[in-house]
Amino acid sequence: MKKVAIVGIGHGKFGVRSDASLRELTFEAVKACLEDAGVPLQEVESMVTGIAGDEFSIALQPSAQVHDYIGFHPKPNFRVEGACATGSMALRTGWMNVASGLADLVLVVGVEKMTEVPTSVATDIMGRGGDATWEYPFGTTFPGYYAMIANAHMAEYGTTEEQLAMVAVKNHYYGSLNPFAHLQKRIDVEKALTSFTVAYPLKLFDCSLITDGAAAVILASEEKAKAISKKPVWFEGLALATDTLMIGERESLTSIKASREAARIAYKMAGIGPSEVDVATVHDCFTIAEIVAYEDLGFCEKGEGGKLIAAKETYVDGKIPVNVDGGLKSKGHPLGATGVSMAIEITKQLRGEAEERQVKNAEIGLTHNVGGTGQVVAVHIFRRG
Amino acid sequence: MEFKNFSLAIGQTKVSRFAHDLAAGKIMSTLCKKCGKKYYPPRADCSACMSSEMEWRPLNGEGKLVTFTKIHVPPEHFGIRQPLMPFSSVQFEPCPVGIVEVEGGLRIMGWIPKIDVKKIKIGMKLKASPQILPDGKVTIVLEII
Repeated sequence: MKKVAIVGIGHGKFGVRSDASLRELTFEAVKACLEDAGVPLQEVESMVTGIAGDEFSIALQPSAQVHDYIGFHPKPNFRVEGACATGSMALRTGWMNVASGLADLVLVVGVEKMTEVPTSVATDIMGRGGDATWEYPFGTTFPGYYAMIANAHMAEYGTTEEQLAMVAVKNHYYGSLNPFAHLQKRIDVEKALTSFTVAYPLKLFDCSLITDGAAAVILASEEKAKAISKKPVWFEGLALATDTLMIGERESLTSIKASREAARIAYKMAGIGPSEVDVATVHDCFTIAEIVAYEDLGFCEKGEGGKLIAAKETYVDGKIPVNVDGGLKSKGHPLGATGVSMAIEITKQLRGEAEERQVKNAEIGLTHNVGGTGQVVAVHIFRRG
Repeated sequence: MEFKNFSLAIGQTKVSRFAHDLAAGKIMSTLCKKCGKKYYPPRADCSACMSSEMEWRPLNGEGKLVTFTKIHVPPEHFGIRQPLMPFSSVQFEPCPVGIVEVEGGLRIMGWIPKIDVKKIKIGMKLKASPQILPDGKVTIVLEII
């Protein structure tokens, strides 16, 4: 297997982008990515596009729109889909292209246009990310699924609504320092706790955002990366793990089993343990999800996630900085773009380009991206070149 | 009784009799005749041994609550313009949902009507039962024993 590096990153502005279509959002990210890599599109050999929902984009093959608009024909484009983990699955597919020797330079795009449909329709579409036959009849929504995880976690470990709010406060703080974030608004615990209930016990500020946005990276083989990049960021470990479609069939409702499995494999491949991770982006689609991720990734003991945020250990100067780009919570969660955006943040951190949000001397970074309610999880580990 | 009267979205499946049985007052599971694995929701095929020889078995719905929530921001289908969410009062008031673990470790999702969400406790004993709604649809409720 060949070594693979990220040699270019491009992040579009996340938000309610009523000014732009799916393909136009993509163009912004791809253009920035090519500029960052310093290579023309003509040199890129292959493309992978992560778009989660046909229903959001109101198209049968939305990736063809994107591919056409950047003028990539006649070269190949692979569309990848895995709900909220789509972006990381696209990255993994790009990595497979390069690691296998099939291509030396691959463009990976993640994009989603979610706000063209009304919020209630978006909620309906996302709800069917669970079991559309057996859970949907009970009015399940994504906040509903994670609320069930939150209630189980609170009952078993004494995690509190205040601790959930503290995750939101941190991520909004860092989102306010990230020019690409959907919301640049700081909040306090009081504001989070008094916001309206979306799915008990989760409130508005426990939930990530319905967002439009695109992110793109260029992956290169070792020879190519050394030739064109001064600051390559290397893939050291990758894993993709899966679990049951129905939340009711899970072994545990206080943990995402596929996260634990993906982390175990990725750490093994990278030859490191959780204590060696300098900075991480984890899947905080809801505040409880970030707390569960701390535990599943081994940043703290099982059940101690609430205490980790209460002690501010996941801030930039803490034991393990997490989501210091604002996370899904404040940066926004355009499904297909999220995993790619996570890798971009880690690349910035490892290059030392994260400005006010920079984790000092970060050498190893981790991304954790959950699809659905934990049906599929990707964990990637990166090292500074 | 069409399966869609339970599932709302999907009508075609090999286990469509589930909705018919529900309307007749029974929550049915399937059991693999070859390897003995039990399924709820029922499946026509066994992923443990790849057999499709299944037997239908009614479930005693009594069990313990595994988790729950109350969804205040509903999906489009359960929005005001669509048929009202089951067990809602005249003004839109969502009904809690939960998952109960019954015999054999099987888990049943259902509505938990007529209860203040703050009084719901994980581990409490509930019974899952079928219920026919005024609009002819059929669903499952979890009630305190």
